[in-house]
Amino acid sequence: MAVFENSDVLEKILGGFFRLLSDTPEVADKLIKAKLVIKFHYTEPDLTLTVDCSGDKVEISANDDTKKPTVEMFMKAEIAHKFWYGKVNLTAALARRQMTAKGPIPKIMALLPAIKPAYAMYPKYLDENGFEKYNIHK
Amino acid sequence: MQLTDFFQFHAPTKIVYGPGLARDLEAELNDLKARRIFVITDSHVQQMDFYQATIDGINRTGARVVGVFSDVPANSGLKTVKQGSALGAELKADSILAIGGGSVIDTAKGVNAEMSLAGDLMTDFCGTHTMPHPLNPLIVIPTTAGTGSEVTLVAVIMNEEEKTKMAFVDRYLVPNLAVLDPEVTLSMPPYLTASTGMDAMAHAVEAYLGVDASPYSDALALQAMVMIRDNIVRACQDGQNIKARGNMLVAGNLAGVAFSHSMVGVGHGMAHSCGGLCGVPHGVANHILLPYAMRYNLDACEDRLGVLARLFFIKGTGLTGRELAEKAIDAIFELQRELAGVAGMPVRLSQVGVKEEDLPDIATATLSDGTCIYNPREVVFEEVLQSLKEAF
Repeated sequence: MAVFENSDVLEKILGGFFRLLSDTPEVADKLIKAKLVIKFHYTEPDLTLTVDCSGDKVEISANDDTKKPTVEMFMKAEIAHKFWYGKVNLTAALARRQMTAKGPIPKIMALLPAIKPAYAMYPKYLDENGFEKYNIHK
Repeated sequence: MQLTDFFQFHAPTKIVYGPGLARDLEAELNDLKARRIFVITDSHVQQMDFYQATIDGINRTGARVVGVFSDVPANSGLKTVKQGSALGAELKADSILAIGGGSVIDTAKGVNAEMSLAGDLMTDFCGTHTMPHPLNPLIVIPTTAGTGSEVTLVAVIMNEEEKTKMAFVDRYLVPNLAVLDPEVTLSMPPYLTASTGMDAMAHAVEAYLGVDASPYSDALALQAMVMIRDNIVRACQDGQNIKARGNMLVAGNLAGVAFSHSMVGVGHGMAHSCGGLCGVPHGVANHILLPYAMRYNLDACEDRLGVLARLFFIKGTGLTGRELAEKAIDAIFELQRELAGVAGMPVRLSQVGVKEEDLPDIATATLSDGTCIYNPREVVFEEVLQSLKEAF
Protein backbone atom coordinates (compact mmCIF):
# COMPACT_ATOMS: atom_id res chain seq x y z
CA MET A 1 0.00 0.00 0.00
CA ALA A 2 1.23 3.49 -0.86
CA VAL A 3 2.56 5.61 2.02
CA PHE A 4 0.35 8.57 1.06
CA GLU A 5 -3.38 7.99 0.67
CA ASN A 6 -3.95 10.30 -2.27
CA SER A 7 -2.51 13.19 -4.27
CA ASP A 8 -4.03 15.82 -1.98
CA VAL A 9 -2.27 14.38 1.05
CA LEU A 10 0.98 14.12 -0.89
CA GLU A 11 0.67 17.74 -2.04
CA LYS A 12 -0.01 18.90 1.51
CA ILE A 13 3.00 17.05 2.88
CA LEU A 14 5.68 17.36 0.19
CA GLY A 15 4.37 20.65 -1.18
CA GLY A 16 4.30 22.00 2.36
CA PHE A 17 7.82 20.78 2.95
CA PHE A 18 9.08 22.46 -0.18
CA ARG A 19 7.37 25.68 0.92
CA LEU A 20 9.15 25.36 4.27
CA LEU A 21 12.47 24.94 2.45
CA SER A 22 11.71 27.96 0.30
CA ASP A 23 11.26 29.99 3.51
CA THR A 24 14.53 28.70 4.95
CA PRO A 25 17.30 31.07 3.81
CA GLU A 26 20.06 28.48 4.41
CA VAL A 27 18.49 26.32 1.69
CA ALA A 28 16.58 28.83 -0.43
CA ASP A 29 19.53 31.15 -1.04
CA LYS A 30 21.53 28.33 -2.60
CA LEU A 31 18.58 27.14 -4.68
CA ILE A 32 18.02 30.65 -6.06
CA LYS A 33 21.71 30.83 -6.96
CA ALA A 34 21.28 27.69 -9.10
CA LYS A 35 18.54 29.43 -11.16
CA LEU A 36 16.82 26.16 -11.99
CA VAL A 37 13.25 25.06 -12.48
CA ILE A 38 12.95 21.52 -11.13
CA LYS A 39 9.89 19.42 -11.72
CA PHE A 40 9.30 16.36 -9.54
CA HIS A 41 7.03 13.71 -11.03
CA TYR A 42 5.61 11.46 -8.33
CA THR A 43 3.62 8.29 -8.79
CA GLU A 44 1.54 6.26 -6.30
CA PRO A 45 -0.16 8.69 -5.89
CA ASP A 46 0.32 10.88 -8.95
CA LEU A 47 1.45 14.46 -8.44
CA THR A 48 3.93 16.87 -9.96
CA LEU A 49 5.56 19.58 -7.92
CA THR A 50 7.49 22.33 -9.64
CA VAL A 51 10.16 24.14 -7.67
CA ASP A 52 10.93 27.35 -9.53
CA CYS A 53 14.20 28.93 -8.42
CA SER A 54 14.61 31.10 -11.49
CA GLY A 55 13.49 34.34 -9.84
CA ASP A 56 14.20 36.23 -6.63
CA LYS A 57 12.39 33.69 -4.48
CA VAL A 58 11.57 30.00 -4.65
CA GLU A 59 8.05 29.31 -5.92
CA ILE A 60 6.29 25.99 -5.46
CA SER A 61 3.38 24.88 -7.64
CA ALA A 62 1.50 21.61 -8.05
CA ASN A 63 0.54 20.02 -11.38
CA ASP A 64 1.82 23.10 -13.16
CA ASP A 65 2.41 22.65 -16.88
CA THR A 66 3.08 26.31 -17.58
CA LYS A 67 6.70 26.32 -16.44
CA LYS A 68 9.41 24.72 -18.55
CA PRO A 69 11.64 22.68 -16.25
CA THR A 70 15.42 22.68 -16.48
CA VAL A 71 15.57 19.28 -14.82
CA GLU A 72 12.94 16.68 -14.06
CA MET A 73 13.05 13.92 -11.48
CA PHE A 74 10.79 10.87 -11.60
CA MET A 75 10.10 8.60 -8.61
CA LYS A 76 7.43 6.94 -6.50
CA ALA A 77 6.17 9.14 -3.67
CA GLU A 78 7.47 6.56 -1.19
CA ILE A 79 11.01 6.95 -2.52
CA ALA A 80 10.72 10.74 -2.20
CA HIS A 81 9.49 10.32 1.38
CA LYS A 82 12.46 8.11 2.24
CA PHE A 83 14.84 10.43 0.38
CA TRP A 84 13.93 13.37 2.60
CA TYR A 85 14.65 11.17 5.59
CA GLY A 86 18.13 10.64 4.19
CA LYS A 87 17.27 6.96 3.88
CA VAL A 88 17.72 6.59 0.13
CA ASN A 89 21.14 5.77 -1.19
CA LEU A 90 21.10 8.12 -4.15
CA THR A 91 23.63 6.21 -6.24
CA ALA A 92 21.79 2.93 -5.70
CA ALA A 93 18.43 4.56 -6.42
CA LEU A 94 19.77 5.91 -9.71
CA ALA A 95 21.35 2.55 -10.61
CA ARG A 96 18.10 0.69 -9.84
CA ARG A 97 16.03 3.29 -11.66
CA GLN A 98 14.02 4.00 -8.51
CA MET A 99 14.83 7.58 -9.41
CA THR A 100 15.48 8.86 -12.88
CA ALA A 101 16.71 12.29 -13.79
CA LYS A 102 16.04 14.09 -17.05
CA GLY A 103 18.15 17.10 -17.88
CA PRO A 104 21.72 18.16 -17.32
CA ILE A 105 23.06 15.92 -14.56
CA PRO A 106 25.68 18.46 -13.40
CA LYS A 107 22.95 20.95 -12.56
CA ILE A 108 21.14 18.33 -10.52
CA MET A 109 24.32 17.36 -8.69
CA ALA A 110 25.03 20.98 -7.83
CA LEU A 111 21.87 21.04 -5.73
CA LEU A 112 22.85 18.24 -3.40
CA PRO A 113 24.93 20.35 -0.99
CA ALA A 114 22.12 22.94 -0.93
CA ILE A 115 19.52 20.48 0.33
CA LYS A 116 21.69 18.88 3.00
CA PRO A 117 19.97 20.65 5.93
CA ALA A 118 16.61 19.40 4.65
CA TYR A 119 17.19 15.84 5.82
CA ALA A 120 17.10 16.86 9.47
CA MET A 121 14.18 19.22 8.89
CA TYR A 122 11.80 16.67 7.35
CA PRO A 123 10.89 14.49 10.37
CA LYS A 124 10.60 17.59 12.54
CA TYR A 125 8.34 19.19 9.93
CA LEU A 126 6.08 16.13 9.88
CA ASP A 127 5.71 16.15 13.65
CA GLU A 128 5.06 19.86 13.91
CA ASN A 129 2.45 19.97 11.17
CA GLY A 130 0.12 17.16 12.15
CA PHE A 131 1.71 14.52 9.93
CA GLU A 132 3.19 12.44 12.79
CA LYS A 133 1.77 9.20 11.42
CA TYR A 134 4.04 9.53 8.39
CA ASN A 135 7.14 9.85 10.53
CA ILE A 136 8.88 6.52 9.99
CA HIS A 137 10.87 7.02 13.18
CA LYS A 138 7.68 6.75 15.26
CA MET B 1 35.40 -6.87 3.42
CA GLN B 2 32.59 -4.50 4.28
CA LEU B 3 29.91 -4.90 1.62
CA THR B 4 27.75 -1.95 0.64
CA ASP B 5 24.00 -2.20 1.25
CA PHE B 6 23.38 -2.66 -2.44
CA PHE B 7 25.30 -3.51 -5.56
CA GLN B 8 24.55 -5.00 -8.92
CA PHE B 9 26.59 -6.42 -11.74
CA HIS B 10 25.29 -6.41 -15.28
CA ALA B 11 27.75 -6.61 -18.15
CA PRO B 12 25.70 -7.37 -21.27
CA THR B 13 28.33 -6.52 -23.90
CA LYS B 14 29.71 -9.53 -25.75
CA ILE B 15 33.49 -9.15 -25.76
CA VAL B 16 35.66 -10.89 -28.33
CA TYR B 17 39.45 -10.68 -28.35
CA GLY B 18 42.01 -11.63 -30.96
CA PRO B 19 44.77 -10.15 -33.12
CA GLY B 20 43.34 -9.56 -36.60
CA LEU B 21 39.77 -10.15 -35.46
CA ALA B 22 38.48 -6.83 -36.84
CA ARG B 23 38.93 -8.18 -40.36
CA ASP B 24 36.57 -11.11 -39.79
CA LEU B 25 33.36 -10.31 -37.93
CA GLU B 26 30.95 -12.51 -39.89
CA ALA B 27 29.93 -14.72 -36.97
CA GLU B 28 29.36 -11.78 -34.65
CA LEU B 29 27.41 -9.75 -37.21
CA ASN B 30 25.16 -12.74 -37.93
CA ASP B 31 24.39 -13.03 -34.21
CA LEU B 32 23.36 -9.38 -34.09
CA LYS B 33 21.34 -9.47 -37.30
CA ALA B 34 23.19 -6.33 -38.40
CA ARG B 35 22.72 -5.90 -42.16
CA ARG B 36 22.93 -2.21 -43.03
CA ILE B 37 25.88 -0.96 -41.05
CA PHE B 38 26.65 2.72 -40.56
CA VAL B 39 30.30 3.29 -39.69
CA ILE B 40 31.26 6.12 -37.34
CA THR B 41 34.95 6.92 -37.14
CA ASP B 42 37.41 9.79 -37.50
CA SER B 43 39.55 10.91 -40.39
CA HIS B 44 42.76 9.70 -38.74
CA VAL B 45 41.48 6.14 -38.27
CA GLN B 46 40.24 6.13 -41.85
CA GLN B 47 43.83 6.47 -43.06
CA MET B 48 45.04 3.41 -41.17
CA ASP B 49 45.70 0.09 -42.93
CA PHE B 50 43.35 -1.99 -40.83
CA TYR B 51 40.40 0.33 -41.51
CA GLN B 52 39.80 -0.63 -45.14
CA ALA B 53 40.48 -4.29 -44.31
CA THR B 54 37.74 -4.08 -41.69
CA ILE B 55 35.25 -2.52 -44.10
CA ASP B 56 36.14 -5.05 -46.80
CA GLY B 57 35.72 -7.87 -44.30
CA ILE B 58 32.19 -6.70 -43.45
CA ASN B 59 31.22 -6.34 -47.11
CA ARG B 60 32.25 -9.97 -47.72
CA THR B 61 29.60 -11.13 -45.23
CA GLY B 62 25.81 -10.94 -45.63
CA ALA B 63 26.02 -7.45 -44.17
CA ARG B 64 27.25 -4.30 -45.87
CA VAL B 65 28.52 -0.90 -44.93
CA VAL B 66 25.88 1.60 -46.14
CA GLY B 67 27.81 4.72 -45.24
CA VAL B 68 30.59 6.29 -43.23
CA PHE B 69 30.58 9.36 -40.99
CA SER B 70 34.14 10.37 -40.26
CA ASP B 71 33.79 13.95 -39.08
CA VAL B 72 34.20 13.16 -35.39
CA PRO B 73 36.61 15.52 -33.62
CA ALA B 74 38.32 14.98 -30.28
CA ASN B 75 35.92 15.96 -27.47
CA SER B 76 32.99 15.49 -29.82
CA GLY B 77 29.83 17.48 -29.24
CA LEU B 78 26.07 17.56 -29.71
CA LYS B 79 26.36 19.15 -33.17
CA THR B 80 28.47 16.23 -34.39
CA VAL B 81 25.91 13.78 -33.01
CA LYS B 82 23.15 15.62 -34.86
CA GLN B 83 25.09 15.48 -38.16
CA GLY B 84 25.81 11.78 -37.68
CA SER B 85 22.25 10.80 -36.82
CA ALA B 86 20.86 12.74 -39.80
CA LEU B 87 23.17 10.86 -42.15
CA GLY B 88 22.48 7.50 -40.50
CA ALA B 89 18.72 8.02 -40.84
CA GLU B 90 19.07 9.04 -44.48
CA LEU B 91 21.04 5.86 -45.15
CA LYS B 92 18.39 3.75 -43.39
CA ALA B 93 21.08 2.01 -41.37
CA ASP B 94 19.96 -0.74 -38.99
CA SER B 95 23.12 -0.83 -36.90
CA ILE B 96 26.24 1.17 -36.09
CA LEU B 97 29.90 0.23 -36.08
CA ALA B 98 32.12 2.63 -34.16
CA ILE B 99 35.83 2.43 -34.97
CA GLY B 100 37.92 4.78 -32.88
CA GLY B 101 38.67 6.11 -29.44
CA GLY B 102 36.42 7.51 -26.73
CA SER B 103 35.14 10.49 -28.69
CA VAL B 104 34.09 8.31 -31.64
CA ILE B 105 32.47 5.69 -29.42
CA ASP B 106 30.53 8.21 -27.33
CA THR B 107 29.40 9.97 -30.51
CA ALA B 108 28.20 6.64 -31.86
CA LYS B 109 26.21 6.06 -28.67
CA GLY B 110 24.55 9.44 -29.08
CA VAL B 111 23.84 8.86 -32.78
CA ASN B 112 22.41 5.42 -32.00
CA ALA B 113 20.08 6.92 -29.39
CA GLU B 114 18.79 9.59 -31.76
CA MET B 115 18.36 7.13 -34.64
CA SER B 116 16.74 4.38 -32.58
CA LEU B 117 14.45 6.56 -30.50
CA ALA B 118 13.67 9.30 -33.03
CA GLY B 119 14.30 12.05 -30.52
CA ASP B 120 16.75 14.79 -29.69
CA LEU B 121 19.64 13.61 -27.55
CA MET B 122 19.87 16.73 -25.41
CA THR B 123 16.18 17.55 -25.07
CA ASP B 124 14.80 14.07 -24.67
CA PHE B 125 17.51 11.84 -23.27
CA CYS B 126 19.95 13.88 -21.20
CA GLY B 127 20.08 12.46 -17.69
CA THR B 128 19.94 9.00 -16.20
CA HIS B 129 17.93 6.11 -17.63
CA THR B 130 15.64 8.22 -19.76
CA MET B 131 15.56 5.94 -22.81
CA PRO B 132 12.30 4.02 -23.23
CA HIS B 133 13.51 0.94 -25.09
CA PRO B 134 16.63 -0.83 -26.42
CA LEU B 135 18.56 0.77 -29.26
CA ASN B 136 19.77 -0.67 -32.55
CA PRO B 137 22.85 -2.92 -32.39
CA LEU B 138 26.05 -1.03 -31.64
CA ILE B 139 29.37 -2.67 -32.42
CA VAL B 140 32.60 -1.09 -31.22
CA ILE B 141 36.19 -1.59 -32.29
CA PRO B 142 38.27 0.53 -29.89
CA THR B 143 41.45 1.84 -31.47
CA THR B 144 42.87 3.13 -28.21
CA ALA B 145 43.38 1.16 -25.01
CA GLY B 146 41.84 3.19 -22.24
CA THR B 147 38.42 4.70 -22.68
CA GLY B 148 36.48 1.55 -21.78
CA SER B 149 33.50 3.15 -23.50
CA GLU B 150 33.02 -0.03 -25.54
CA VAL B 151 31.45 -1.61 -22.44
CA THR B 152 29.98 1.29 -20.46
CA LEU B 153 26.49 2.71 -20.08
CA VAL B 154 27.79 6.26 -20.25
CA ALA B 155 28.35 8.71 -23.08
CA VAL B 156 30.13 11.99 -22.37
CA ILE B 157 29.40 14.54 -25.06
CA MET B 158 30.29 18.22 -25.21
CA ASN B 159 27.57 20.83 -25.13
CA GLU B 160 29.40 23.32 -27.33
CA GLU B 161 27.23 26.27 -26.32
CA GLU B 162 27.74 25.85 -22.58
CA LYS B 163 31.31 24.49 -22.86
CA THR B 164 30.23 21.65 -20.60
CA LYS B 165 30.64 17.93 -20.98
CA MET B 166 27.20 16.38 -20.73
CA ALA B 167 26.76 12.91 -19.25
CA PHE B 168 24.19 10.53 -20.65
CA VAL B 169 23.72 7.46 -18.49
CA ASP B 170 21.46 4.67 -19.66
CA ARG B 171 21.50 0.89 -19.65
CA TYR B 172 20.51 0.96 -23.32
CA LEU B 173 23.66 2.86 -24.29
CA VAL B 174 25.82 -0.18 -23.51
CA PRO B 175 27.23 -1.52 -26.81
CA ASN B 176 26.21 -5.00 -27.91
CA LEU B 177 29.60 -6.12 -29.13
CA ALA B 178 33.16 -5.03 -28.30
CA VAL B 179 35.86 -6.26 -30.65
CA LEU B 180 39.26 -6.14 -28.96
CA ASP B 181 41.84 -6.46 -31.70
CA PRO B 182 45.30 -5.39 -30.51
CA GLU B 183 46.52 -5.05 -34.10
CA VAL B 184 44.41 -1.92 -34.52
CA THR B 185 46.28 -0.25 -31.66
CA LEU B 186 49.79 -0.98 -32.99
CA SER B 187 50.24 2.38 -34.66
CA MET B 188 49.30 4.44 -31.61
CA PRO B 189 52.18 6.81 -30.85
CA PRO B 190 53.74 6.70 -27.37
CA TYR B 191 51.98 9.88 -26.21
CA LEU B 192 48.52 8.53 -27.05
CA THR B 193 49.41 5.10 -25.67
CA ALA B 194 50.40 6.69 -22.37
CA SER B 195 47.48 9.09 -22.07
CA THR B 196 44.81 6.53 -22.91
CA GLY B 197 46.54 3.95 -20.72
CA MET B 198 46.54 6.36 -17.79
CA ASP B 199 42.89 7.09 -18.47
CA ALA B 200 42.30 3.37 -17.94
CA MET B 201 44.44 3.46 -14.80
CA ALA B 202 42.34 6.34 -13.49
CA HIS B 203 39.16 4.39 -14.25
CA ALA B 204 40.48 1.39 -12.35
CA VAL B 205 41.79 3.34 -9.35
CA GLU B 206 38.70 5.51 -8.98
CA ALA B 207 36.38 2.53 -9.48
CA TYR B 208 38.28 0.75 -6.69
CA LEU B 209 38.12 3.74 -4.31
CA GLY B 210 34.54 4.81 -5.10
CA VAL B 211 31.51 4.54 -2.82
CA ASP B 212 29.80 2.03 -5.10
CA ALA B 213 32.76 -0.37 -5.33
CA SER B 214 31.72 -4.02 -4.99
CA PRO B 215 33.65 -7.30 -5.01
CA TYR B 216 32.83 -7.55 -8.70
CA SER B 217 34.14 -4.14 -9.70
CA ASP B 218 37.11 -4.61 -7.34
CA ALA B 219 38.18 -7.82 -9.06
CA LEU B 220 38.13 -6.21 -12.48
CA ALA B 221 39.72 -2.94 -11.35
CA LEU B 222 42.61 -4.66 -9.57
CA GLN B 223 43.32 -6.95 -12.52
CA ALA B 224 43.24 -3.93 -14.83
CA MET B 225 45.77 -2.11 -12.63
CA VAL B 226 48.12 -5.12 -12.67
CA MET B 227 47.98 -5.36 -16.46
CA ILE B 228 48.56 -1.62 -16.89
CA ARG B 229 51.39 -1.64 -14.34
CA ASP B 230 53.14 -4.40 -16.28
CA ASN B 231 52.54 -3.15 -19.81
CA ILE B 232 52.05 0.59 -20.18
CA VAL B 233 55.74 1.54 -20.31
CA ARG B 234 56.53 -1.42 -22.57
CA ALA B 235 53.72 -0.47 -24.97
CA CYS B 236 55.08 3.09 -25.14
CA GLN B 237 58.65 1.93 -25.72
CA ASP B 238 57.81 -0.78 -28.25
CA GLY B 239 54.58 0.01 -30.05
CA GLN B 240 54.76 -3.17 -32.14
CA ASN B 241 54.75 -5.41 -29.07
CA ILE B 242 51.46 -7.21 -29.66
CA LYS B 243 51.53 -8.81 -26.21
CA ALA B 244 51.82 -5.46 -24.44
CA ARG B 245 49.20 -3.95 -26.76
CA GLY B 246 46.81 -6.84 -26.06
CA ASN B 247 47.29 -6.51 -22.33
CA MET B 248 46.62 -2.77 -22.44
CA LEU B 249 43.52 -3.24 -24.58
CA VAL B 250 42.08 -5.83 -22.22
CA ALA B 251 43.07 -3.78 -19.17
CA GLY B 252 41.21 -0.76 -20.53
CA ASN B 253 38.21 -2.97 -21.13
CA LEU B 254 38.29 -4.48 -17.62
CA ALA B 255 38.59 -1.02 -16.10
CA GLY B 256 35.65 0.05 -18.26
CA VAL B 257 33.42 -2.72 -16.90
CA ALA B 258 34.59 -1.85 -13.38
CA PHE B 259 33.79 1.85 -13.59
CA SER B 260 30.57 1.25 -15.46
CA HIS B 261 29.43 -0.26 -12.15
CA SER B 262 31.15 1.70 -9.42
CA MET B 263 31.71 4.89 -11.41
CA VAL B 264 34.60 7.32 -10.93
CA GLY B 265 35.23 10.22 -8.58
CA VAL B 266 36.77 13.62 -8.10
CA GLY B 267 39.74 12.91 -10.38
CA HIS B 268 37.41 12.50 -13.32
CA GLY B 269 35.35 15.45 -12.13
CA MET B 270 38.44 17.64 -12.35
CA ALA B 271 39.49 16.07 -15.66
CA HIS B 272 36.05 16.65 -17.23
CA SER B 273 36.19 20.27 -16.12
CA CYS B 274 39.72 20.76 -17.49
CA GLY B 275 38.48 19.29 -20.78
CA GLY B 276 35.32 21.36 -20.90
CA LEU B 277 36.85 24.70 -19.93
CA CYS B 278 40.43 24.47 -21.22
CA GLY B 279 40.32 21.74 -23.87
CA VAL B 280 42.73 19.42 -22.07
CA PRO B 281 42.46 15.93 -23.63
CA HIS B 282 40.71 13.58 -21.23
CA GLY B 283 43.49 11.02 -20.88
CA VAL B 284 46.13 13.70 -20.36
CA ALA B 285 44.02 15.38 -17.69
CA ASN B 286 43.49 12.07 -15.90
CA HIS B 287 47.18 11.27 -16.12
CA ILE B 288 48.08 14.55 -14.44
CA LEU B 289 45.29 14.60 -11.86
CA LEU B 290 45.10 10.97 -10.71
CA PRO B 291 47.65 11.16 -7.86
CA TYR B 292 46.08 14.39 -6.59
CA ALA B 293 42.65 12.75 -6.62
CA MET B 294 44.10 9.82 -4.64
CA ARG B 295 45.58 12.27 -2.13
CA TYR B 296 42.22 14.06 -1.90
CA ASN B 297 40.68 10.77 -0.82
CA LEU B 298 43.51 9.63 1.44
CA ASP B 299 41.58 10.10 4.69
CA ALA B 300 38.62 8.09 3.43
CA CYS B 301 40.52 5.28 1.69
CA GLU B 302 43.65 4.54 3.67
CA ASP B 303 43.13 0.76 3.65
CA ARG B 304 42.27 0.57 -0.02
CA LEU B 305 45.21 2.74 -1.00
CA GLY B 306 47.34 0.36 1.05
CA VAL B 307 46.18 -2.50 -1.18
CA LEU B 308 47.23 -0.47 -4.22
CA ALA B 309 50.65 0.17 -2.67
CA ARG B 310 51.25 -3.59 -2.37
CA LEU B 311 50.14 -3.95 -5.97
CA PHE B 312 53.02 -1.65 -6.86
CA PHE B 313 55.43 -3.98 -5.02
CA ILE B 314 55.69 -1.81 -1.91
CA LYS B 315 56.19 -3.86 1.24
CA GLY B 316 54.31 -2.61 4.28
CA THR B 317 56.87 -3.68 6.86
CA GLY B 318 57.40 -0.96 9.44
CA LEU B 319 54.94 1.41 7.81
CA THR B 320 51.71 2.73 9.30
CA GLY B 321 48.54 2.32 7.25
CA ARG B 322 48.73 5.96 6.27
CA GLU B 323 52.37 5.74 5.23
CA LEU B 324 51.58 2.71 3.09
CA ALA B 325 48.64 4.55 1.49
CA GLU B 326 50.92 7.51 0.72
CA LYS B 327 53.32 5.10 -0.99
CA ALA B 328 50.54 4.17 -3.44
CA ILE B 329 50.22 7.83 -4.38
CA ASP B 330 54.01 8.06 -4.73
CA ALA B 331 53.91 5.02 -7.04
CA ILE B 332 51.53 6.84 -9.38
CA PHE B 333 53.78 9.94 -9.30
CA GLU B 334 56.70 7.65 -10.17
CA LEU B 335 54.75 6.14 -13.07
CA GLN B 336 53.94 9.69 -14.25
CA ARG B 337 57.66 10.50 -14.31
CA GLU B 338 58.43 7.29 -16.19
CA LEU B 339 55.81 8.13 -18.81
CA ALA B 340 57.14 11.66 -19.08
CA GLY B 341 60.46 10.07 -19.99
CA VAL B 342 59.28 7.46 -22.49
CA ALA B 343 56.30 9.28 -23.99
CA GLY B 344 56.82 12.97 -23.26
CA MET B 345 53.76 13.13 -21.03
CA PRO B 346 53.16 16.43 -19.23
CA VAL B 347 52.92 16.22 -15.47
CA ARG B 348 51.46 19.63 -14.62
CA LEU B 349 48.29 21.45 -15.69
CA SER B 350 50.38 24.50 -16.57
CA GLN B 351 51.99 22.42 -19.34
CA VAL B 352 48.68 21.71 -21.10
CA GLY B 353 47.21 25.16 -21.59
CA VAL B 354 45.54 25.65 -18.22
CA LYS B 355 46.10 29.11 -16.76
CA GLU B 356 46.26 29.80 -13.06
CA GLU B 357 43.22 32.07 -13.30
CA ASP B 358 41.24 29.14 -14.76
CA LEU B 359 41.59 27.07 -11.59
CA PRO B 360 38.63 28.54 -9.62
CA ASP B 361 36.31 27.97 -12.59
CA ILE B 362 37.60 24.40 -12.96
CA ALA B 363 36.97 23.81 -9.25
CA THR B 364 33.45 25.22 -9.52
CA ALA B 365 32.69 23.01 -12.52
CA THR B 366 34.10 19.98 -10.70
CA LEU B 367 31.61 20.41 -7.87
CA SER B 368 28.71 20.04 -10.24
CA ASP B 369 30.18 17.12 -12.18
CA GLY B 370 28.09 13.97 -11.98
CA THR B 371 31.02 11.94 -10.71
CA CYS B 372 31.13 13.74 -7.36
CA ILE B 373 28.37 11.71 -5.74
CA TYR B 374 30.49 8.60 -6.22
CA ASN B 375 33.59 10.05 -4.60
CA PRO B 376 34.47 8.55 -1.20
CA ARG B 377 34.94 12.02 0.33
CA GLU B 378 32.70 15.03 0.01
CA VAL B 379 33.83 17.20 -2.88
CA VAL B 380 34.42 20.69 -1.48
CA PHE B 381 35.40 23.77 -3.49
CA GLU B 382 38.36 24.88 -1.36
CA GLU B 383 39.90 21.40 -1.30
CA VAL B 384 39.41 20.82 -5.02
CA LEU B 385 41.00 24.19 -5.71
CA GLN B 386 43.92 23.22 -3.49
CA SER B 387 44.36 19.94 -5.42
CA LEU B 388 44.26 21.83 -8.71
CA LYS B 389 46.85 24.31 -7.45
CA GLU B 390 49.11 21.43 -6.46
CA ALA B 391 48.67 19.89 -9.92
CA PHE B 392 49.26 23.23 -11.63
